[in-house]
Amino acid sequence: MQENLSLDSSSFSPAVNFLQELPSYRSIARRRTTLLSRDKQSGTLLKPADSYRSHLEGEITENLNSQSIRKYALNISEKRRLRAIQETQMKYLSEWDQWKRYSSKSWKRFLEKTHEMTRHLELWREDIRSIEGKFGTGIQSYFSFLRFLVLLNLVIFLIIFVLVLLPVFFTRYKITNSTFVSIPLKDTDMQCTVYPVSSSGLVYFYSYIIDLLSGTGFLEETSLFYGHYTIDGIKFQNFTYDLPLAYLISTIAYLALSLLWIVKRSVEGFKVNLIRSEEHFQSYCNKIFAGWDFCITNRSMADLKHSSLRYELRADLEEERIRQKIAQRTSEETIRIYSLRLFLNCIVLAVLAACFYAIYLATTFSQEHMKKEIDKMVFGENLLILYLPSIVITLANFITPIIFAKIIHYEDYSPGFEIRLTILRCVFMRLATICVLVFTLGSKITSCGDTTCELCGYNQKLYPCWETQVGQEMYKLMIFDFIIILAVTLFVDFPRKLLVTYCSSWKLIQCWGQQEFAIPDNVLGIVYGQTICWIGAFFSPLLPAIATMKFIIIFYVKELSLLYTCRPSPRQFRASNSNFFFLLVLLIGLCLAIIPLTISMSSIPSSKACGPFTSYNTTWDVIPMTVTTFPSSLQAVIHGITSEAFAVPFFMIICLVMFYFIALAGAHKRVVLQLREQLSLESRDKRYLIQKLTEAQQDLRGQ
Amino acid sequence: MGQCLRYQMHWEDLEEYQALTFLTRNEILCIHDTFLKLCPAGKSYKEATLTMDQVSSLPALRVNPFRDRICRVFSHNNVFSFEDVLGMASVFSEQACPSLKIEYAFRIYDFNENGFIDEEDLQRMVLRLLNSDDVPEDLLMDLIQHVLSESDLDNDNMLSFSEFEHAMAKSPDFMNSFRIHFWGC
Repeated sequence: MQENLSLDSSSFSPAVNFLQELPSYRSIARRRTTLLSRDKQSGTLLKPADSYRSHLEGEITENLNSQSIRKYALNISEKRRLRAIQETQMKYLSEWDQWKRYSSKSWKRFLEKTHEMTRHLELWREDIRSIEGKFGTGIQSYFSFLRFLVLLNLVIFLIIFVLVLLPVFFTRYKITNSTFVSIPLKDTDMQCTVYPVSSSGLVYFYSYIIDLLSGTGFLEETSLFYGHYTIDGIKFQNFTYDLPLAYLISTIAYLALSLLWIVKRSVEGFKVNLIRSEEHFQSYCNKIFAGWDFCITNRSMADLKHSSLRYELRADLEEERIRQKIAQRTSEETIRIYSLRLFLNCIVLAVLAACFYAIYLATTFSQEHMKKEIDKMVFGENLLILYLPSIVITLANFITPIIFAKIIHYEDYSPGFEIRLTILRCVFMRLATICVLVFTLGSKITSCGDTTCELCGYNQKLYPCWETQVGQEMYKLMIFDFIIILAVTLFVDFPRKLLVTYCSSWKLIQCWGQQEFAIPDNVLGIVYGQTICWIGAFFSPLLPAIATMKFIIIFYVKELSLLYTCRPSPRQFRASNSNFFFLLVLLIGLCLAIIPLTISMSSIPSSKACGPFTSYNTTWDVIPMTVTTFPSSLQAVIHGITSEAFAVPFFMIICLVMFYFIALAGAHKRVVLQLREQLSLESRDKRYLIQKLTEAQQDLRGQ
Repeated sequence: MGQCLRYQMHWEDLEEYQALTFLTRNEILCIHDTFLKLCPAGKSYKEATLTMDQVSSLPALRVNPFRDRICRVFSHNNVFSFEDVLGMASVFSEQACPSLKIEYAFRIYDFNENGFIDEEDLQRMVLRLLNSDDVPEDLLMDLIQHVLSESDLDNDNMLSFSEFEHAMAKSPDFMNSFRIHFWGC
């Protein structure tokens, strides 16, 4: 570090001398609670002189009640004296005020102690801290995100457990004195209740493994899937517990809870993104003043941080230059670029359509062939057919990012925008594949070649209990995803590290190099898993518990992979950016999960052969039925709220309120601009006056 | 080596330090331990002092490009007493409030200590951050101009404390990056 400028402080410009004497400067400095006076010879900052000190204390003691002592920027001995002054002041207060002050202090101390204790209970605190010290805050935010998902899944499972599983277990194992209620079906529906149980003839050993991996056979009847809960109610001593209603409410509750929790977590990042000005994506102030992670303790990590800062600042300036170049494009070039972009976006859409069609074909093929005799097939072929949709999805998610990365080079965007657009396309691709799978299943379930669909509303011959089968597909996707993550870590990451360590003489290996921890890919992987969990939790109530276990194991696997096989990347993600990006992707996943769920709950008739909704037309019908059991006044209120006469005026009022806030924001913006202009004018006046004063002083001295 | 009795600190002192700083009990005791290991023999922790070099070479500060400024801001008469070290750890702890951190960040970044962060300070800061010998002049000037255009509201080519405070309140990374975990506590 070369510093060519020496600390020649006695030669501060006269302007700075005057500026430090201005009343505005001094009052701000007093607000910060230390007065900065300069020693003219050595130029060092002195602690306040005694005469100032008593003045200072006078100022502070007026405000002592409002601030806690810790927040003052003083050293401990001065704070101690302030505290003593504060306590003597207390004596002059009335009894009531003294008691108020004392109780607020003890309440704050109590809150702090509980915070301290809950911080100890935080899961994986030490691991995440050590990762932060070694690899920086970008990667640490990935692991914090993973921890958040573990907690979210645990809470979702608790909701489902308390509302659905617990009453069923109590009754089944006779812990409470309750019985199941089942409503007999109408005659016309009797044909829909035919549910062939899988044959229990000669069973090969490997069929157990197939059943475990695909949810069929012995797992189909267990509490893992929807079909197990063919219960219309549970009769306790005093009341009847409405299990269908509880099942539906648990689904709505976990979706609402996920939405609220994600929005709450992203509020900070979003607020900051709103305040930032529209021109830059990242501000230079943030990068220079908050650029260095003060918690880095490792020499190699520090070198890496220096080089990543060098890279980042250069890249930002480069981006600025490119943006200026773009702004100077001629109209001819603009037309050419836009038509090229349109063409390339069509190619992107074509690639997406091809992938979706491939998934559709794979799902159809797999569903048709699953119905054949399983015993007649070879083990490997059987598993292949069962897992065909998952395999095709994984392959598609592997190939398309490469294609997108190639295409975006020709679209001539600025580098930062390129990265963001590629990531957005990959996110959409990954999450939409699940939707395509679910919609294919949905179309197969509701389409029938002959008239049996009018009988039950769905393809009763092939899918007597279609919710269980959808649940099985989700279960297979989750298991396959888990296996792939483990396999990639074991069979790609670790051998790569071994090769690089022991065969580093080969040129090829040197070129390939050690692996970097790619944050976007890893985040997409776990958001994909979480989306499957959200969709599947309705069809398979134990799926969130499986997801929790899966994420816990993935945490340890990824941590080991990071520590032993990865080198830190020279291009680092910033923590603030990362957090916002992760939660945005998660929110997209949640929205994409809600769509198939609402469609299946409201428009596909529920199966009559299994599940809690056998006596209802669709799953959603539980709610209108329950409303009819309310007292008539409450019913009238609910009918009023859901009618058009209420909804349209409500919508118009909301629009008006929104327009008001937009107008207010615009007005504030204009005022801010005006004030900024005024501020710079005032500052110019100030400098002019200081200059005149300095000249006058010099003239006076010269005379 | 220093006297190494673990509970040499009285309970009232511990309570007082907890009330006056943002540190938790465990953190204060950890710091007390390490301070005793480093301070010269024969003195109690209340009188012993550490030199600026000793504090600069602590593992938490060893690779920090601003360690000399940190030591300068938090020491008194070029030495660190135990309470100075506690004050420093309190400002850098996770629980410290933003106004305190911004205050001390301003003092640390004000290299020439004239009460403002001017172009000279910014230049030294950027050189320390990049830590390379050949930084092109125009890159430096560009960066400084961008920083000033974003945060210098009154156009005097310097950042006063309120302008700095305003910029840091908007900065999303500041609270996360201005933290030090001292002594593995």
